[in-house]
Amino acid sequence: MKQFPNTRILMVDDNDIDIAVNRKLLQLADITSDIRSFNQCKKFFEYLDSEDGGAKGFAQIVLMDIMMPVMNGFECLAQFDEYPADFKKNFVIYMLSSSIDRNDIRLAEATPNVRRVLEKPLDIYVLRKLLEQEGLRAE
Amino acid sequence: MNNKPGILYLDDEENNLFSFRALFRRDFDIYTTTSAAEAIQILRENDIQVVLSDQKMAEISGVEFFELLRNEFPDPVRILVTGYADIEAVIDAINKGQVYRYITKPWNEQDLKFCIENAYEKYSRERELRTKNVELEKANAELDKFVYSTSHDLRAPLVSMLGIMEVLRVEEDKTKSREYIDMLDTTLQRLNEAVQNIIYYYQNARNQELLEEIKWEFFLDEVMRQARKSWQGVPPTLNLDISSSNQFVCDRHRLKVIVLNILSNAIRYADSEKSEMWIRIEVIQNTEKAIVRISDNGLGIENARLNKIFDAYDGHSMSGGIGLYIARQAATKIGAELHVHSIFGEGSKFTIDIPNRI
Repeated sequence: MKQFPNTRILMVDDNDIDIAVNRKLLQLADITSDIRSFNQCKKFFEYLDSEDGGAKGFAQIVLMDIMMPVMNGFECLAQFDEYPADFKKNFVIYMLSSSIDRNDIRLAEATPNVRRVLEKPLDIYVLRKLLEQEGLRAE
Repeated sequence: MNNKPGILYLDDEENNLFSFRALFRRDFDIYTTTSAAEAIQILRENDIQVVLSDQKMAEISGVEFFELLRNEFPDPVRILVTGYADIEAVIDAINKGQVYRYITKPWNEQDLKFCIENAYEKYSRERELRTKNVELEKANAELDKFVYSTSHDLRAPLVSMLGIMEVLRVEEDKTKSREYIDMLDTTLQRLNEAVQNIIYYYQNARNQELLEEIKWEFFLDEVMRQARKSWQGVPPTLNLDISSSNQFVCDRHRLKVIVLNILSNAIRYADSEKSEMWIRIEVIQNTEKAIVRISDNGLGIENARLNKIFDAYDGHSMSGGIGLYIARQAATKIGAELHVHSIFGEGSKFTIDIPNRI
């Protein structure tokens, strides 16, 4: 029994190693088995525009890395913000950073749809607490 | 433009202006007027370092005129020209910092000249201080960005390793463990690269040139092997095309820093969507110089970012951490020119133009 059955986790990170490790951590902690990853923002948007991305009936948790080439996490979320409100409300967004920088935190706070910045490596205990706060725990 | 100090004198008595001009036109670049409005126009259009104004004028007092200048022209040094009767107003103005000196009428030529020269000196000193301050602020900002980038370059692989350790600890499958150990290895190489870059940066600023002969094939092979270490998976294929007619000598260590950082980026930002990833290195060298072109069919760089990639920190994109910044620093040191051309989505081409020190 997964602890958050009605959730899908979306990881956006250019570092394939971090994606592999975080995926493993999420699996070990039994958060959900529905995990997708994108090593470029472009692929994340391709997913959002697909039938899958618009699917309803479950929450989509986004773990967005801040430091990425081509399009960084903030730029990626600025583009995400252009989606209709009805579409966006299905997403819960956290930003991931390996260097907790005050400027980044301030920027994240000012970025629409972002819940907060999480420090890398991903702390599953903290993530679980946050998801519980979102009311996503199984009945 | 001449180098004489620009002096403006406002006085509603034409005679004074006339004699002032007659006295100093050889020493200073002199502008005179009887109207405050015209004086402001002159300040806008010319390079004025010292402003003199009569205190008692029909339309406006000298102190009031200086008050008008304060916002738009804070830098020129102000001298009030006045008769003894206005001494109260003068003391007040000096105390408020509105004027630098005052000169009493009728003036003594030597005193007046000395006073203007002092005022000009004060202006120059202050300007020098302002320039120094701007430079310092710039250096400070650069250092800030450097520390920001560097701490990220160091921290990112470190936290990756912490994550890998966490999963490695519970992984029982031997083959899977092996994969995580490979990941640790790659990430450790990346950390090593980041530390190495800090050392390069430090050494580049201090050490003298060390000239050595470059054997291109051997040199590029060594650099490529090092660049590949921090990459997991199949690296892009490498094409070498070397046309060298004779010996080539330069600071091998610095050249390595430049080429290594460009290659690392070419590998790290290769486009895995493309069916065949490649990097091509072309060397054309003669007795005078070598031109090294490193091109790839990677992700490419957006136009808006292209001119910022050699900065210590380019906004929030962190395309290459401090790697390219260090490459540029090293290039400057050996008199090489570094250029980039890129089409977003298609690939990048770096050109290094290095003088032959044979």
